[in-house]
This record gives sequence, C-alpha cells and structure tokens, in this order.
Amino acid sequence: MTPLARPWLWSWLAAAAAFSLTLGLTSGRGASELAYAALSFGAFAAIVGLGQMLVITLGPGNVDLSIPATMTLAATLALKGMSSDPGTAFMGLAIALAVGVGAGAANYALIFLLRLPPIIATLAASLIYQSLAIWSNRGLRIKPPEGLADFATGRVLGLPNVAWVGLLLAVAVWVVLERSIWGRWLLATGQNLRVARLAGVPVERVRATTYVAVAVFASLAGYLLASFSGGAALNMGQEYLLMSIAVVVIGGTSIAGGNSNVPGVWGAALFMFLVVSMLNSYGAGAGVRNVLTGAIIISIVIAASTRRART
Amino acid sequence: MAISKMLLVTAGLVMAGGLAQAESKLADTSDKRIALSNNYAGNSWRQAMLQTWEDVAGQAVADGVVAAADAYTTSENQATEQAAQIQNMILQGYDAIVLNAASPTALNGAVKEACDAGLTVVSFDGIVTEPCAWRIAVDFAAMGKEEVDYLASRLPEGGNLLEIRGLAGVFVDDEISKGIHAGVDEHDQFTIVGSVHGDWAQDVAQKAVAGILPSLPEIVGVVTQGGDGYGAAQAFKAAGRDTPLIVLGNRQDELQWWAEQRDANGYETLSLSIAPGVASLAFWVAQQVLAGAQVPKDLTVPFLKITQDTLDEALASTPEGSVANVTYALEDAQQVIADAK
Repeated sequence: MTPLARPWLWSWLAAAAAFSLTLGLTSGRGASELAYAALSFGAFAAIVGLGQMLVITLGPGNVDLSIPATMTLAATLALKGMSSDPGTAFMGLAIALAVGVGAGAANYALIFLLRLPPIIATLAASLIYQSLAIWSNRGLRIKPPEGLADFATGRVLGLPNVAWVGLLLAVAVWVVLERSIWGRWLLATGQNLRVARLAGVPVERVRATTYVAVAVFASLAGYLLASFSGGAALNMGQEYLLMSIAVVVIGGTSIAGGNSNVPGVWGAALFMFLVVSMLNSYGAGAGVRNVLTGAIIISIVIAASTRRART
Repeated sequence: MAISKMLLVTAGLVMAGGLAQAESKLADTSDKRIALSNNYAGNSWRQAMLQTWEDVAGQAVADGVVAAADAYTTSENQATEQAAQIQNMILQGYDAIVLNAASPTALNGAVKEACDAGLTVVSFDGIVTEPCAWRIAVDFAAMGKEEVDYLASRLPEGGNLLEIRGLAGVFVDDEISKGIHAGVDEHDQFTIVGSVHGDWAQDVAQKAVAGILPSLPEIVGVVTQGGDGYGAAQAFKAAGRDTPLIVLGNRQDELQWWAEQRDANGYETLSLSIAPGVASLAFWVAQQVLAGAQVPKDLTVPFLKITQDTLDEALASTPEGSVANVTYALEDAQQVIADAK
C-alpha cells in the first residue's frame, strides 16, 4: 500500500494546503494564531465527527441526524443545572453526558422497537430534543461557571484544552476500533450485517452502544462548546449536522460502512475550519465560498476514493 | 427652545385630539380573533418575541379587547410549511393574521388567499411583499449606516474595519450590509478589510472571526448585525489582540460584557438592534385595522438603541441571557400609524 493510498492522507494534505494558502496572504505572519484557532474550533467538529463515524461505520442507512439537537439540549440543561455557580463543572458534565445517554437510548429505541429507518428516527427525535431545549430555558443564555470557561478556552503545553479532549477521544476510539472485540464487531456489522449476525456477533447490542456513543460524543461537544463560547444558544448545534457527516466522508471513512478512519476525521475537521478561513481571508463572498467549499470537498472525496479503488 | 417646545406641545395636543376623534369612530373588536404565524423560534430573540406576544396579547384577551390571540410557530422554518399554516388559519376562522414570514415573496400566494377570505394580514420583521398585507419594517440599511456614522464620530482618523454579516442569502443581512457599505463610502477614512458571516450567533461569529484574524492588519472597529458582538470580542481576546470598538446588538451577554469593560477600562461603544417587542406593535396595528382605523400599508418602527448613558438602565431591565426589549402599547401603535400618514 503506497502512502498515497491511505485515505486519511488527503484530508491532511488539504488542511495543510488551506493553511499555507492563508498564510501566503500574510507572508507567514500569524501562523501560530491560525493553527491554534484551527485546533480549538476543529476539536468540536472532530468530537461530533468521531461519533458520526462510528454510526456510519454500522453500514448503509445508519446516520445520526439528531446531533445538533442533542448538543443543544445537553448544553442547555448542563448550563441551567450549573447556573454559573463555581465548582459545579463536573455536575454539569454529568448532566450533559446523562442527556447523551438518554438521547442515544431513545434514538435506538425508535430504530429497534418501531423499526424506523435511522434517518427518520433520529430526525424525528431531534425535533423533540430541540423542543425540550426551547421549553427548558426559552433560549436564555446562561454563562458557564468561571473555572469551566477558563478550562474550555485555556491551553496546556501550547495546545488548546478542547483539542486535548478531542485528541484523547480520537486515540480512545482508535484503540477501541483496532484493538478491542467491540471494535471488530462494529466493523463486521458494517461490512455485512447478515454475515456478522450468523457469525455470532451480537449485532443489536453493537448498534445500541454505537447510537448511545454518538449521542454521548455530541453532548460532550455541546457541553464544551457552550463553555467555550460563553453559554448555550438554541441554534448552537445547527452547523454541526452537515459538518459531522462532511468530516467523516472527507476523512476517508467509507460511507457504505464497515471501514473507519480516525486520523482522517481530525484532518478533515481542521480542513473544514481552515478552508472557510482561507476563503474569508481572500475576501470571497458567501456564494463563492459555498460553491468553492462544495467543489473542494467533492474533489477530495473523489481523490481519496479513486486511490483506494486502484490498490 | 421655548418656541420649539411649545410647537411640540401643540402638535401633541392636536394629535391627541385627532386620536381621540379617531378612537370614537372605531369599532369594537372584542369578538375578533387574531393569530400569530411565526416561522422560527430557535434563538433568544425569537423567544423574547414570543414572550412579548404572550404578555401583551394575553393581557389584551384578558381585558376583552380581542377574543383570542394565539401564537403558532412552524418547526422547520420553511415557507411551504408556513403557507399551509396560514391556510389553516383561514379555515379556523381567524379575523387577522400577524405574520413573521419565512420569505418576503414565497408566502404571497397564501397571504393573498387570506386577504381574499377577508382576513387582515400584518407582517413584521420578516415582511411580505404582497400588496394586500400591512408591513411593519425596520430600516435596516439605516441601522447599518448609523453604525459607521457612530464609528466616524468616535474614530475621526479612521482605520481598518471588520464586518460581521448575518445569515447569507437573507434579506435583512443584505440590507444591513448595504447600509454599512454606504456608510463606509461616505466616511472614506474607513476601509473594510475583512468580512465574515456570523449567522447572528455568538459561537459562529467567534469561529469565523478567529479564522480570519490572523490574516488581518490592525482592526480599529467591528461592524456587526446583532448577536455576534460578544463572539467577536472573545475571538479578539483569544488571539491576544487589543479589543477594537465593537458595535453591539443588544444581547444581554453583550451588554454585560460592555459594562464590565467600561468599569475596567472605560470602554465606550454603541448597541443597536430591532426590539423583539415589535410583535406587540404588530398586534396593536392588527387590532386597529380590525377596529376600522385608517392604517397606511407601510409602517416603520425605530430600532432600539443603547448608548453609554442608557447602558445600566437597559442592563437592569433585560433578563439574564435574553435581548433588550421594549413592549409597545396601543398608544405607541397609534403614534406609529399617525407618523406614517
């Protein structure tokens, strides 16, 4: 397998290209600022992307469209629970993760018990989660406790704390996928559900845990994003619906399932931030920016997939 | 001074007399039913708007001014969905529809149906172009221009500006931006060196500004559209840059931040936006139309401006995490109507 055949490489190459093109404009000034911002904001996309990657790996038709609503609900309830009081960060985290577990379990219940296609089930559930978020706090923005806000915007060893969280999660997901039985079960289920079931893989248990995992990742991302940006907003998750799917696809994970790619998700998350920064820096209008972003994504996916097909 | 004051008083008296006369001719609306058709509820501004509607229209129902004033919001912010909602309202027998529209043109067919069925349609904020409907609009272009005028008064020597726009493709975004660019053309000591879309959301604005900042020279001012100033301030802080003069958009977290900066280092700025309470103005206009008052089709509502002097007052009256608001009463609506004649 030549290095070019590694599908994750393309997202990293694209991110590097966008990075250098942006800096070309400033003749190198602001490189560390830009890298730091990319790592901070890329972390949120990477965290939800890792979750979405697990679900997409489950095979055709599996996707979680409730990610934005889960993020919003988890963040809203967590920040309301903490009500800016110092020392409540862990309680808030527990609330957010509990929302994630609940949302994931509810999604899977709809899929399994009612036999709904995941797209319909998660989309319908997301309307409920979003309504709960609206109903619980009527869109009021509550500030995170100071210590938590400092953590979310702070840095350790030069890297943003949120990026550390995203990197640790990526390593954990990679280890689980590559080294654990559950990871093998997940890949087997995604490659062929029937064969996996006949081979004795507890297919439904794998699916259930995967849907819970993606919701927990989304709720963690929501909790961090709200702490980072000074409060939960009802529309905070909006852009993470397409983002979560885009980073998975650009990252080289097979949309047909059964094939994950952890490093690619991070590369794609950085790329998605950097490409917008690059086009903004060059003064592209909204229309041009959207067209170019779409065209670039398509070409990366084509490049990554044709290379794979040749090997 | 004294003369102008006297003139004002006289004008006021004449107006009050005119109003009293108009009122005496107005019909009773206690059996009329008004519906609010709203296209979106997913941000703090819309939530404050719905709250104001509930307070004002609910009180009007309790007082017997109208028989019903129900609020309906579509779940997906789609024009097709809202058109169906309006058709339902016609079938339900409402007498008037107060409308915050998903599109200025796509609902015209449904609005025309409502008019033909004898309903009064009053659009506000998101207005419709159908001639049979009333429009309560904000002069968004003037709002954008006012931002640059203010910057020119504070920074006469000019400099580089960063523009944060709203949601791409939305009428309001184009209008405010047009006003800002008109202002920059007039005050040519300013140059817009960067423009990003913040989608009227703090976290999106923060992300967009953080991405473009490394490639920008020194920025003296940030022109915004509302709901994006706090995010911009956070991005400047994270990049280790001096905080420029950021025009704010009346969100409580922005006002809070402004007050903190003012206390710490004397920070001065301006905050302006359309108040969510415009829904209550639309309610009273609809009530006036139902009562048979002569109301021009195009009305203008002023935007709500907060200055250094009114900051503390505005901050005290704005619920935490919400948007600065004004509630309009019947008399305000009559004033706006009189001004438009």
